[in-house]
Amino acid sequence: MSTTVFYDRFERHSHGQGLKGHATHYCPGCGHGLAHKFLAEAIDELGIQNRTVAISPVGCSVFLYYYFDVGNSQAAHGRAPAVAIGHKLANPESIVVSYQGDGDLASIGLAEIVSTAQLGVPITVIFVNNAIYGMTGGQMAPTTLMGMKTATSPHGRDIYMGKPMKMAELIAGLDGPIYVERVALFDAKQRNRAKKAILKGLKLQVEKRGFSFIEVLAECPTHLKMTPEETEKWVKEQMQPNFPLGVKKDLTPDPWFEPPKPSFEIDQLLKVVGASSDAPIRSAKGFPSHIAPHDIAIKLAGSGGDGAQTAAMLIARAGINEGFDATHIPSYGPESRGGTSYADVHVAETEVLNPAAPAPHILIAFNAPSLAKFGPAVKAGGTVLYDSSVIHEVPKVAAGVRVVGVPFAQIAVDLGKAMVKNIVALGALHAATGIFPKETFLTAIRLTLKDKCALIPLNEEAFAWGIKSVEEPAN
Amino acid sequence: MPQVKERPKPFLFPEFCKGCGRCISACPKHCIAMGEEVNPMTGLVPVVLDLEQCNGCALCIDACPEPYGLQPTPAEVADFELQDPEKLFGLRHTEAPAPVDIPDEWIPLPACEPLVIKGNYAAAIGALLAGCRHFFGYPITPSTEGAELMAKFLPKLGGTYLQAVSEVATVNHMYGCGGAGLRCMTFTSGPGFSLMVEGISYMIGAEVPGVFVNIMRGGPGLGNIAPEQSDIKLACRGLGHGNTHAVVLTPSTPQEMLDLTLLAFDLAFKYRNPVIVLGDGYLGQMTGKVKLPPKMLKPGLPSWAVYGDEMHRKNLISSIDLDEHDLELHNLDINRKYEAMKSEARADLFMCEDAETVFVACGTPSRMAKGAVEDLRKEGIKAGLFRPLTVWPFPLPQLLPLLPRAQRIVVVEASPGQLRDELLLALSQEGISKYPRIESVTHMGGILPQQHEIMAAALGRQEALQEVHA
Repeated sequence: MSTTVFYDRFERHSHGQGLKGHATHYCPGCGHGLAHKFLAEAIDELGIQNRTVAISPVGCSVFLYYYFDVGNSQAAHGRAPAVAIGHKLANPESIVVSYQGDGDLASIGLAEIVSTAQLGVPITVIFVNNAIYGMTGGQMAPTTLMGMKTATSPHGRDIYMGKPMKMAELIAGLDGPIYVERVALFDAKQRNRAKKAILKGLKLQVEKRGFSFIEVLAECPTHLKMTPEETEKWVKEQMQPNFPLGVKKDLTPDPWFEPPKPSFEIDQLLKVVGASSDAPIRSAKGFPSHIAPHDIAIKLAGSGGDGAQTAAMLIARAGINEGFDATHIPSYGPESRGGTSYADVHVAETEVLNPAAPAPHILIAFNAPSLAKFGPAVKAGGTVLYDSSVIHEVPKVAAGVRVVGVPFAQIAVDLGKAMVKNIVALGALHAATGIFPKETFLTAIRLTLKDKCALIPLNEEAFAWGIKSVEEPAN
Repeated sequence: MPQVKERPKPFLFPEFCKGCGRCISACPKHCIAMGEEVNPMTGLVPVVLDLEQCNGCALCIDACPEPYGLQPTPAEVADFELQDPEKLFGLRHTEAPAPVDIPDEWIPLPACEPLVIKGNYAAAIGALLAGCRHFFGYPITPSTEGAELMAKFLPKLGGTYLQAVSEVATVNHMYGCGGAGLRCMTFTSGPGFSLMVEGISYMIGAEVPGVFVNIMRGGPGLGNIAPEQSDIKLACRGLGHGNTHAVVLTPSTPQEMLDLTLLAFDLAFKYRNPVIVLGDGYLGQMTGKVKLPPKMLKPGLPSWAVYGDEMHRKNLISSIDLDEHDLELHNLDINRKYEAMKSEARADLFMCEDAETVFVACGTPSRMAKGAVEDLRKEGIKAGLFRPLTVWPFPLPQLLPLLPRAQRIVVVEASPGQLRDELLLALSQEGISKYPRIESVTHMGGILPQQHEIMAAALGRQEALQEVHA
């Protein structure tokens, strides 16, 4: 049958000049031309020329796009299935064909074809297996037969080069694909089967049912160094026993591929990213410049699980809610190893310049090593808050540094939830430094817990106990 | 198109027959034989047809590998001229309309309170506001929060999150999705970025847009997951094989992670080229105040897209060009784009007006340098910070006015000198040989230059200095 899926002139083949405008670049007798024709006829029959995107591979069929009057995309070596998925997910209504040879699909592109097949998204893969690298000049392919002589197996493929890959069987063994068949081109009967298989593979995609894979045993007369007729015989007698023809997998699941359409609704987007026009309640009278004129550095240090990072984030959030700038960085580098968890926080009146806090104004230490390490670095006139339920020895600190011990852990345990010790610490921070009003902290805590409202009362209680234990240390 | 008879006999235009003979064994009536005369047009020997016994079974047509080889005989074959199948079979013009750009639409956003989020999250939100609804990626520390956020958000926005089998597959998914004209992105880190540069070269060659956020970590090799800036060379000078460049943006705050990712999509589509956003592990993990921009993008569809519909049927995304002249012309076109991209060079200047000591730094080390500038000013040192927002193209035009007053330039970076190299290369390419002494404060391995080291360098304490250029 004739088809309109081929360009009427192959403009991309040497600008369509002379014979190249109507003849393929393939050698006489090459199986690619037949696979192209059957694909073109199937596209025609299904009426999907406008929707089709053909992915050209690397290999002899790299110039697939010379011939097919469809959307064309040319992929890197082995990556055609990955490119195909990009196109299919971009436009689920497009019909995407990934066309590959044996080096491309069964060697360099193994990861891509296996993962794409398993993904199961409806695309159609045409795999042309001619047991040799054609384009690069007849080297050994992953599908080269045992004993077969090629440019890179001049003495015949032997056991040290591994055995030929049976891709149809491998792909059929996966759960993703719904239809896998191996066909051939060596006689009229096989060509008829090949046509039908390619048509079926495309139809399953049009029906949104799943991933199909058609392996086509094809002839490469040039590199097999045979006449086209001899090559047909060779495929029939030599290749076929190694690569048995037939259907390897055939399921007809219900159509399922209906991904949602991208949304650009403002309200939905703002909801998803958690943005709101509601101004948080501001309680601070101004920047807490009694601690530092424009930029306060705070370090929180403890072990993983002490909640230092959460407390740090809450301080930063409280600062930003009050209209200041703030940053929080979890510690990095060797010092963060061994289960330690350090956080640097800055709250600045206008802009945090350097977010690191090597010499903080305030240190909150959850364990003894943290206090020993960072206590001496606290700036003169600063404040150290430490967990007196686990720390019994206070290192020497700079002149004028106020050191306050609060039993963070003990209070939290008494409240029935050890994990709120960081909130106890925040209460203590508020009481000891007056960095922000109480309401500022509570607003930040409530905002952070808005999806876990049940936890708010406990956290508020922990915060209150933190305050109390600074203001009434006797208790 | 002419009417085709039922069961037509085959017809062969000898110029389009390569003489493979596959039709011979296909014919049950033995109507076809190997020819004996060389065709003067092709140098090949076409088959010869003797159709006396032909019953129009068409098996020979099915056996012919050439699209314009054996054909069903057209109705008016009697008086055809041996010239061209276009005349013979009727010239077909595609009915598809010429592709046109469907324009993007900017939608105003209501004023919102600032978010308090990590740098990686901010970049992801920047991408959403830029109209990106397709994310492809492979998990790698310290970039993964960005991917995780996209996995959480995109399904709620009708978008697609796909965890690829590797970074190699990731970039090729982007080649496909970007080639279809859509906005897509990935988050990665050095080892993953290395794997992606093959595909980035293809994207540049095929002019496919896409945004790569590389949260740099310690290297080489597996290195570690702490912050470094040692992918500057790879991003500026090593985007795969061939003549490649891409705009490389260097944010230094969570706010800039959002703003510059948003910008990255603009530039990627403006130039049909990938854009790289280089962050560092510190910045990705840093929580800060992030304001949303006043508008967000609802993307259209560019005319060049291979979208898989009627309007875009004639399009091709490809980086192969066998003709040397064509490929040179393509490279000259690409070079013109690179030249145009130089107008995108951006820098942020902090206290540079009268600066005698000019720090040059990007990413998180620039924050340390910013702190140092303020403290040095208190000590009476006229320090300033020149902070490239693009390291390729290097913002030399913005730096040049500072040079006459500057007595020294101190490059602060978490790499062995890759930022300094970009600076020196920019100066050299501009033919500028007179510039102040260039010194460096560097760390590697995941350690960032600290403010006190930068101060020490500026105050002339030699122990922290590495003199590079006199």
